[in-house]
Amino acid sequence: MKLPLRLRTPSLVCLSCLCACFAASAANFDGPPSPSDHPPAERARATVSPAGETVAIPGPLRSFMRMAGISQEAAPDEVLPLVARNVSLHGYENGGETEYLVLLRRYVQFARELRQFAGEDGAIHVANCDDAERLVDILGYQFAEGCGENKAYLVTANAERAFLTIDSGFPLTALEEAIQKHAPFNYQFPATNVPVLFREQDWTAASTMRQKGAASLLDLLLHDQDVDRLYWALSRNDEETRLALHQSRNLRSLLPLATALEFYGSQISVRSGRVLVPGGPSAEKAWQELVGANPDSPGEFIEHLCARDRGWLAAYYDAISRVSRDEQTHLTQGSRLRQLFDVYRRAGGNSTATKGVFPRNADLLILFSRLQWQQDGSPYIPGTLATWKDILRENSTPKLIQSWVRSARTWDTPDQLLMTLVACSNFPTDVGPLQIYLTLSAIDASRSPNARLDDGTVRLMATKFAQFHSWYLLFSEFTSLDDTSITQFLSAAEAVTATTNPALRSNALGALQANVGLWEILARQREIPAAKVNASWQEAVHPFIGVTSSVQLFDAARNSLRSTLTAASGDPNLSQDQLVELLAGPPQQTDAGRRAHQELAERIRSVLDDQRLVSLDTLFALNEGLDQMAHGSGVKDQLIPLAGSLHEFEMPRAIFTAGEKAAWAPQIYTSRHAELQVRTDLTRVIQSAASPAQLEAARGQLTPFLRDTLVGLNYAWYEPPGAQVLHNNPLFVRSHDFSGTSILGYGHIWSTPDLVGIGVTAGGGAYLIGSLANLPYALATAEEDFIAPENVQALIWQAAGPALLVDAIQPRWWDVSPAEMHAAALYQRMGEELLLAAPGDAQLRQHIGDILGNLMTPRRLETTERAILQTEDITTLMPQITPAEKFYLASEYRLLYPAETASWGAAGKELDDLVQKNPADASAARLSKDFGVPHPTLEQTNACAILSVKPLPAFSGDAYGLLGESWESSNLYWARLADEMGYSPQSLNLLIPELSRHMIAKIFATDLEDWPAILRAMEQTGDEFRQGGIHIAALGPVSQHQ
Amino acid sequence: MRFFLIIALCSVLIVGLTTVPGIAAHGQSDQSRIFVNVVLVQLNVAVTDRKGNYVTGLRPENFAVSEDKIQEKIASFEEGGAPEGAIVANADQPSRSTAKSEVPGASQPAAEPPPAPAQASSPDPTHSSVPHLAGASVFVLFDTSDYMYRGFVFAQDAIAGFVRSMEDANKIAFYSYSRNLSRATTLTADRSIVMRGVRSTVAGDEAALYNSLLLTVRDAAQLRGRKAIVVFSNGPDNASTVPPEDVEELAQSTGTIIYIISTRQAQDEPVSSAVFERMSKGTGGKAYFAKDWRDESLAFSSIREDLAHLYTISYYPKPNQNRGWRNINVRLVGPGMDKYRVRTRDGYRLQEQVPPPSQTASGPSTQTDSQ
Repeated sequence: MKLPLRLRTPSLVCLSCLCACFAASAANFDGPPSPSDHPPAERARATVSPAGETVAIPGPLRSFMRMAGISQEAAPDEVLPLVARNVSLHGYENGGETEYLVLLRRYVQFARELRQFAGEDGAIHVANCDDAERLVDILGYQFAEGCGENKAYLVTANAERAFLTIDSGFPLTALEEAIQKHAPFNYQFPATNVPVLFREQDWTAASTMRQKGAASLLDLLLHDQDVDRLYWALSRNDEETRLALHQSRNLRSLLPLATALEFYGSQISVRSGRVLVPGGPSAEKAWQELVGANPDSPGEFIEHLCARDRGWLAAYYDAISRVSRDEQTHLTQGSRLRQLFDVYRRAGGNSTATKGVFPRNADLLILFSRLQWQQDGSPYIPGTLATWKDILRENSTPKLIQSWVRSARTWDTPDQLLMTLVACSNFPTDVGPLQIYLTLSAIDASRSPNARLDDGTVRLMATKFAQFHSWYLLFSEFTSLDDTSITQFLSAAEAVTATTNPALRSNALGALQANVGLWEILARQREIPAAKVNASWQEAVHPFIGVTSSVQLFDAARNSLRSTLTAASGDPNLSQDQLVELLAGPPQQTDAGRRAHQELAERIRSVLDDQRLVSLDTLFALNEGLDQMAHGSGVKDQLIPLAGSLHEFEMPRAIFTAGEKAAWAPQIYTSRHAELQVRTDLTRVIQSAASPAQLEAARGQLTPFLRDTLVGLNYAWYEPPGAQVLHNNPLFVRSHDFSGTSILGYGHIWSTPDLVGIGVTAGGGAYLIGSLANLPYALATAEEDFIAPENVQALIWQAAGPALLVDAIQPRWWDVSPAEMHAAALYQRMGEELLLAAPGDAQLRQHIGDILGNLMTPRRLETTERAILQTEDITTLMPQITPAEKFYLASEYRLLYPAETASWGAAGKELDDLVQKNPADASAARLSKDFGVPHPTLEQTNACAILSVKPLPAFSGDAYGLLGESWESSNLYWARLADEMGYSPQSLNLLIPELSRHMIAKIFATDLEDWPAILRAMEQTGDEFRQGGIHIAALGPVSQHQ
Repeated sequence: MRFFLIIALCSVLIVGLTTVPGIAAHGQSDQSRIFVNVVLVQLNVAVTDRKGNYVTGLRPENFAVSEDKIQEKIASFEEGGAPEGAIVANADQPSRSTAKSEVPGASQPAAEPPPAPAQASSPDPTHSSVPHLAGASVFVLFDTSDYMYRGFVFAQDAIAGFVRSMEDANKIAFYSYSRNLSRATTLTADRSIVMRGVRSTVAGDEAALYNSLLLTVRDAAQLRGRKAIVVFSNGPDNASTVPPEDVEELAQSTGTIIYIISTRQAQDEPVSSAVFERMSKGTGGKAYFAKDWRDESLAFSSIREDLAHLYTISYYPKPNQNRGWRNINVRLVGPGMDKYRVRTRDGYRLQEQVPPPSQTASGPSTQTDSQ
């Protein structure tokens, strides 16, 4: 029997899906809880079908969801939309049907056959072995040795059917056991009804597939991709919008708009018969002119919006809808709305906005989100307009942009630059004028007006942007680094990049970046005092300028490190052990703090040990000893054991010969750097009568070791929880390819590193190529797959997983006071109090709606606004409100209605008191800084913040990172958990990485934008921790945290 | 009783690794690392004749163990195939297996007859004519990646048959992998739980064999006694970040035997078949390439036989300045012994031993069993 190919599709299926593990513990097998057994919060969502109509899914919903690639945690009302989404996205390829779709269709038929076999009670009954023959045949199995105790086991007879049996989770083992025990086998195999959008007949009437035999909606979804897209798109709208659209347009007429609605329609909101346009009532006229239809006619307005300008108008509308109301006001002022759209559309040329898999308005969205406005209402520009004209001239290659740039000669307003930037947003690049603007704006935004970049620095940074842009995030994070510091860094970076000797260049790149990385860690932990940040930076960077030999590089790296140590501790000669203590965090005063600090220090040491890196103490002692020998001192005997310790590093025992590696992994790095170290033998130089020049050269041989240890300290500090590569591949640090020599033509050596060598069996393991910029993300990417999902095949998102890990390992919480951590809990509890108080107060409901409207999608806002009408409903919905939403609601409410903050509950009152007593620690701004997350894509900085943005969709390219960055709830939640359980704030440094790892293992999601899956996983982790199911030994007992 | 001597010897040792470590954690709270102070090296040794038949009834004095050419003194000895096993403190003490007269005269080296080759393996894994496996912990690691799609259900049947045949093994764990590892069934003596784990697997996604094998070795590393991993894979790995070299070293250093069962399809990809052959050999195991997944019963039977016939030898290494890789050599001594072949791991790295898979006490770490 030849099975059909299913080689790529399962990857797509498993990207999102997931199957629940099940077990039959008795012959009467009812299976695990079905989605209909979900807790009340889940069930509440299942009641939204407006017509109350349902369709039947044959067989247990659990099995169908398994085959359809839908999370077992999805609610019944989500099933058909997710089927539509998955079939639309994964069911078709190159004009044909994928194996995923073939299998899903085949399963539906298989389930219908089993339904027929089942009795009228919807259960499959088998009395004994003889009775099982027909069932076994349907399942695609046969008895290996006939009936009888201990031998009635099943083997495959029909591979196609057997695959469906297994993949859908039929309890085959329970059947086998029942037969072996001569016990009856009973298995519930019901048809499950799930809600439908509108009526089934509406959909069957809309599709041409009806004539081809697809009579039911389920069959239609399995055969008509247009219907799939429209069904999925409309399911993401709020109910009022959906109904308004349906009432004014039949579904068939909407089919051509399905893709535009899917990509850009989820922010469209119809309330009381009118489209709520971005910018509010004052912008309605402008939108009406732009769209060519009145917002008072929702059907016509939405149809025009989606149909016009190849989807670009819908993309533009969507981008503006997602930014804050303040930004919307600016963007829709005067003629700006139309002017910006005109350039956006023209830049789109003949392409369409609905082509491809992802929305195409990511850069426009980022630009609109990050724009700053001056008091005169014009957009802020870093540097001068004249400088920007030059920047545009030097960085604009697409022809359309060039035409814009030519016209720039006559510009005299920032709005004209903004128009060009909007046009640039329609050209995919990582290093164009738009990216320069976003980065430099972010740097200026973080600074006081008198500390902003001067025009020369703007020009210089723009010129060097393509090469060094990944490092510019440092300057938006550390605002006291002045123009001189920036200039000096660029000088040093250019100097080492220009080194001609390949080995020296690689070592210089690594050493400089590693030292900057160590400086960054110490500055971030505020161990380098604010007053010394700027000077210490310059002292750390400057030694690398003018290095021309390995000996000079060794001295430069050491001097650079000494200056950083001086700034952080006052002692330039700290031992490696002391340096590790320093990196682990500032000294702690409490037992719990000391324990956390010690634990983190041990973890750093463990990485250094497992990477078999030579200690800094040994390297510096050897360096000094060789120098002394060169000057005639007799320290030879002391140096020989130290030189011997360089030999302790061994390459892993080879499985492959050199020839095999060359043949089987020709493109992959061959660990030349590490092999060179293995061959380094200083004992001969020390023991021989070496000349001063030879001894000096021997000092230079220490430089690769020094580079690796400095780099290793960076790797160790950012170790993701559960890391394996760092502890098992001793070449991982040494293999970092700073020069890009292992890949022909690799040009972006100063950029965020790439992980290469994945799955190259003879390649010696994956390694990083590029710089140390955004190292935590790269390490998280390397280690992510070692997190074993708790749900069978519930695969971790490749984009969101690393982002969630970075959120847990990059911030540290040494400076958080108990009052601040308690405030984090109180803000969230106050948010809950407001929601719970809303059913009895119409004005409060209005306030809540206004505030959450800034943060929630229209669909989610509608659900929330409905729930706050009834206490029972909002109580049910509460677990689905994210911690970031609760925090935002409370903080905005306190800001907007300061007189009412204590009126709604005990937490609000306590928070009021806390803010009075500790205004600095309990402020929302402080909490945002300490419990926020980095937003390198959205905000061009690694500084942590809670930006309170609407959940962002998945985009392609670099904007893919936006997906993870828009999740801001975890650290707030962990802080509340620690506060409520009585742990100290310093324990967060241990607790958050570990709990985050558990959370990721629990994620059971259907699609990339399944944020509720993260919320569920987070809350499940919190519950497990509360109940003692997760024990983090290093935390110690709670009593020691008081 | 079986391990009375080891327990006595390990008064300074803590349950865990085959290279049994003394625990000296840095700091008070570091649960993630285990530091080796005193090492008891344990070897699982297969002895076969030229036809591949297992040789049973050997005595401690028949084995000479050296590490980096330093002759070592055997601290304990056990024969896996003996009904009760046998433990001997050192070569000067009589073997309890002698009392069973399994090899008559074995306690009298001068008059010792040649040991007896065991019965040839039964080709039917469901028939238990082979010696018992008590004490062994077996981890089954099943490739459920896209590469297995065609033979998925047949391979699953094969694994189910293998699990059935391991009725007397101490405990079995069933893991599957694609891009991630799934610990479907942690170590258990309950075969029906394992069977449910086997039948719960689903196919699809990329293959990260070496990442997953690394995690499995780490789980096994926490156990003592005979421990083996049986990998079912069609070969290619397109998603691992760790290389096979590191996995092999860890398995060798923790005394974990790796068996790999594949199909001849894997031999079309020479890199995979080379790794399978070499990694299994380096850890004291074997690689098998069946015609297809329906034709693997001989491989199962062979693995089962192998596990049942292993001699377990341990020793405390004599002082050795080598802090890196240490070569182990085991040879047979005595009249007529040169015609037999010895298979065991060929060394280990003296290193800080592996942290458990989790730094916390929940999740995967609770799924392992340290007896």
